[in-house]
Amino acid sequence: MRSLPALLILAVAIAVPIAFGGNSYVMGLMVSALIVAGVALAWALLGNLGGMVSFGHAAFFGVGAYTSAILSAKFGLPVPLALLAGACGAALCSIVMLPALRLSGPYFALAILAYAHIFKILATEATSITGGSAGFQRFPPLPTVLGLDLSSRVGSYGLLVVLVALCAAIYLAVKRSHVGTALRAMAESEDATRVVGVNATLLKAWMLLLSAFITGLFGAMNAHIINFLEPDYAFSASWSILPIIAAIFGGYRTILGPVAGAVLIYLFDQIIAKELLPVGHEILLGVLLAGMILIAPNGLFGMFQRKATKGAAHAAA
Amino acid sequence: MIRRNCLATACLAATLAFAASARAEDITIGAHMPLTGSLARSGQAFNEGMQVALRVFNESQSKHRIKVTVIDDESQPAKAVTAVEKLSSDGAAAIIGGYGSNIVGPASDTSNRLGKVYITGGAVSDELVQRGNKNFFRINNNAGYQRGVEGLIEEVKPNGVSIIASTKEAPMLLAKGLEESLAKKGYKVTLHPFDPAITDFKPIINKVKLQDKSEIIFMSAYENDYVGIIRAAKVLKPPVKAIVGAWSLATPKMYSDFPDLMQNVIGTTFLPFPVEVKDEEGRKFAAVYKEMFGKEIEYASTLAFVETMVLSEALARSADAGTLKSGGLLAEMKTTNRPSPLGRITFNEVGDNPNFALSMGQHRDGKIPLVSPAEFATGKLAYPAVPW
Repeated sequence: MRSLPALLILAVAIAVPIAFGGNSYVMGLMVSALIVAGVALAWALLGNLGGMVSFGHAAFFGVGAYTSAILSAKFGLPVPLALLAGACGAALCSIVMLPALRLSGPYFALAILAYAHIFKILATEATSITGGSAGFQRFPPLPTVLGLDLSSRVGSYGLLVVLVALCAAIYLAVKRSHVGTALRAMAESEDATRVVGVNATLLKAWMLLLSAFITGLFGAMNAHIINFLEPDYAFSASWSILPIIAAIFGGYRTILGPVAGAVLIYLFDQIIAKELLPVGHEILLGVLLAGMILIAPNGLFGMFQRKATKGAAHAAA
Repeated sequence: MIRRNCLATACLAATLAFAASARAEDITIGAHMPLTGSLARSGQAFNEGMQVALRVFNESQSKHRIKVTVIDDESQPAKAVTAVEKLSSDGAAAIIGGYGSNIVGPASDTSNRLGKVYITGGAVSDELVQRGNKNFFRINNNAGYQRGVEGLIEEVKPNGVSIIASTKEAPMLLAKGLEESLAKKGYKVTLHPFDPAITDFKPIINKVKLQDKSEIIFMSAYENDYVGIIRAAKVLKPPVKAIVGAWSLATPKMYSDFPDLMQNVIGTTFLPFPVEVKDEEGRKFAAVYKEMFGKEIEYASTLAFVETMVLSEALARSADAGTLKSGGLLAEMKTTNRPSPLGRITFNEVGDNPNFALSMGQHRDGKIPLVSPAEFATGKLAYPAVPW
């Protein structure tokens, strides 16, 4: 029963290319939604396990994108390795953010936001490497593996589904481990966990690194899918804000919540809101999120979990 | 008898009308425009020019009726890519591109991948025509803007030119091209690149005032940057004799939005304002535009009008030849050779229009006379003359 939502999502994930494989628009939307889903998952991991609220995930996204694009275009690194390098690059860039771990709450959030802006300026100024504001084009797309063209919409979709599932599995494994227990205890009371010998700063640093790694991976994926980068786009605030909205909508304390939230929010915005309100459709997105927070502060999956728990309690009674 | 004849005539008229409407073939094209976001001012004007072109084209013949589906790309490359995919999925026969090389680049790549002809009048980067996209066409380019500005500089012969340029691709391309060509002609040129995120231009204007001491400031940037630069110049009052800019500056909208900043400012344009159009098509465009939107035509709307007319005619030729569904549009686009309010339009082997050239217009009390080159001038250049 507990794995029902996961099975449902898996079934939908398989059904989508069967039903819409020939429709590049729908598949394109799904690809974009899954990119946001990956970042939302990484953001929720940091918030849920690390107890840190970040407004600067765009930094990891942009660094991952640029690292992968530059390594593949200028140094001839095969794209799969470049993707991994992009993720590692984002994790490395999170190291310079470690001093911010001394801060908490809104101070940490603002410090990360400042770091994101610094990386954007660096990408703009390092013209010889990144192409500066002019942007960076002409880097290799996703390759063809075992006859499947990963640069096609269906191929990209399949790869993203696998990557999101892998990242969710890593998140679950961390959550269920001793580290996860310590992290959850830390979120309740950091001082109390320190007293019992938990190195809170080290654990938070690991979570920041992991979250940056995942975000960088999806940033790199996005770069090779869209085949275009410029600082304004790669480090756009929307890469920080949209995943937060998605995670909160879906339920950031659950693992599948951010994924489902990202897909639902993105599709709602692009298919329904944009159709109803071609200009200024974000208003509808705001209304939807505000309504969701009022009705179910724990998000969509939080609401389902609560109902399921209540149902189980009634059945037991 | 008379009654029967009337009935028969009415029936015949109705049949003919039905037959005529049944013959009119509906062709849908798609367009992505920055209707919101940082490029919205240009996007709105492009959209208006395109709507007028479709009305003019549809009223000019009865065989084909061309409709357009417009999607707001929100001035974002990724949204433009999604828009092209949606338009293609919805069956658009071709795509009209938006504004800005950074948006048109990935959007036209997607269009090429989907095998759709893509035409733009809002992207000047040279890289766009070096990619080998066989479905890509554009009616404007950097060279046309460069020629227009160079001509003005040659006429006024300043002691030096300070170029303030956004580091975005198209403005930097124009700035570097001008820097090189003017330096070759013996002018002292100083380039001041700036990050597009900058909103305070006082430090740059201070350099122009204290170090460069140039007689001309040339702005290679976009609307919001122009406003910031001129505002800073108005505060610091450098000893320049003219403020000159590139695209989207010599427009009535800029004057109506910023009347305190635009007086005497010079920018690239095709037409004076109030509009004085010499050719028949231009006059028709101006009249329908005024009827639909209650204002005079301008720079961006003219580009959109021409690109839409070029595409519509190619679509009609292809439909007439019965090749629209078998890729005939591409061949018809390549055969384009027509006069337009922008001059002659033809496409070379990479889809560029080699005939593109511009004049310079100067804001003067809400009017924009053409002041350079001399053969197209409709007014005398005010020089020295600055907005303050």
